[in-house]
Amino acid sequence: MKASFDHVRIESICTVVPERRVMFEDEIDQYNFTRPQSLKLKATFDLHERRVVSDGVCASDLACDALKALLDNEPTLRDDVGAILYISQTSDYILPPTSNLIQARFGFGPEVYCVDINQGCAGFLIGLFQAAQLMQCTDVRKVLVINADALSRKVSSRDRNSNPLIGDAASVTVVARSTQASPLVFDIRMDGRDALALWIPAGGSRLPHSDRTAALQEDAAGNFRSQDHLVMKGDSVFNFVQGAVPPLIEDTLAQAGVAKEAVDYFLFHQPNRFMLHKLAASLGVPPGKVPANIVRTFGNASGVSIPMTICHNLAPTLLEQSLRCCLSGFGVGLTWAAAVLTLGPLSYCLLKEYQGEKLS
Amino acid sequence: MKNYLERMAELLEVDQVSADDVLEDFECWDSLTVLSIIAYLDEAFKVTVSAEQVCQCRTVGELHARYAGV
Repeated sequence: MKASFDHVRIESICTVVPERRVMFEDEIDQYNFTRPQSLKLKATFDLHERRVVSDGVCASDLACDALKALLDNEPTLRDDVGAILYISQTSDYILPPTSNLIQARFGFGPEVYCVDINQGCAGFLIGLFQAAQLMQCTDVRKVLVINADALSRKVSSRDRNSNPLIGDAASVTVVARSTQASPLVFDIRMDGRDALALWIPAGGSRLPHSDRTAALQEDAAGNFRSQDHLVMKGDSVFNFVQGAVPPLIEDTLAQAGVAKEAVDYFLFHQPNRFMLHKLAASLGVPPGKVPANIVRTFGNASGVSIPMTICHNLAPTLLEQSLRCCLSGFGVGLTWAAAVLTLGPLSYCLLKEYQGEKLS
Repeated sequence: MKNYLERMAELLEVDQVSADDVLEDFECWDSLTVLSIIAYLDEAFKVTVSAEQVCQCRTVGELHARYAGV
């Protein structure tokens, strides 16, 4: 699906990471691989340190911290917010929606529209699209796009395939109407035939959690996980990204009428450095225009990875000036989405550590 | 074929390989090596190969014949 909007802009972004750091070497003995094998993985994927939530902290707690920072910075935001989109795969409860809990926590009124969206690595693009679309036919002035995930709890600590990559984080992005023309162009694609390339088999209605689903089993590669854990078919995901994302980027740039050379930054979802470098090579863009330092610093936090890339790498620049950016998220669904837009100047752009603002 | 053998030696972390060498006998043979081979085949020969398809090949030469020989 292609879409474009003329008067929508990103106004501010806050990303929050948990304070707990885990080093790759701390977990190396948990894996059923030799030390040299795991160190080769570390070198290839550029793994170093990741951030994970402490016991009792939910992804929504990180999101509340980010929202509090934005409201403290701009008190009038409270009256301008007309919708809260909460995009996550690790909701607080099966029901009610977490967006309603956040609405209540911050005292937003009943006219504020709240909806939860189950999306993963493309979650920032999906949230941005839904926010822009929502403002087309409503009186909503500003939308909170909240991306939040704490997948570290859903991954087996003995799964070398996923565990060393995953990080937890949340971001709140304020999407607003713009008085100036600022084109925002999207191309969003999905293919459910490969939906099970990234999944958690048990815990839903199809296969409820039980003692049996919690039992660890070894796979062919030597990783231990249960049916309650996230499973990723690494080779399928690699082939999907290499095959599907470059043509999507080319088509989105063509739709926006923007030459590849005119793009300042390609801000992509952050699976690992190996895949991002391959992607940059396939696209024929210099690696310097494709930041790939998130997994080594914080871990892959699913839909939060793009706002995190923005806050970590571009905050000082974006507070002062604008940059022409191409965004792309790809993963669970399978979903692959891209957007071309002018980002900045932003009124707020910060990555901070969790201070303990809790959703009770 | 010469280029292929040189790149495979790099990926398999040895000085040189021959077509008859058995893939799973290499000391570094694991899922990461398989992924590196998938990425190399994609880049050099524009073929999409799954981990299962790589593992179904017994030797370095068989992998070339099936996916890199065209």
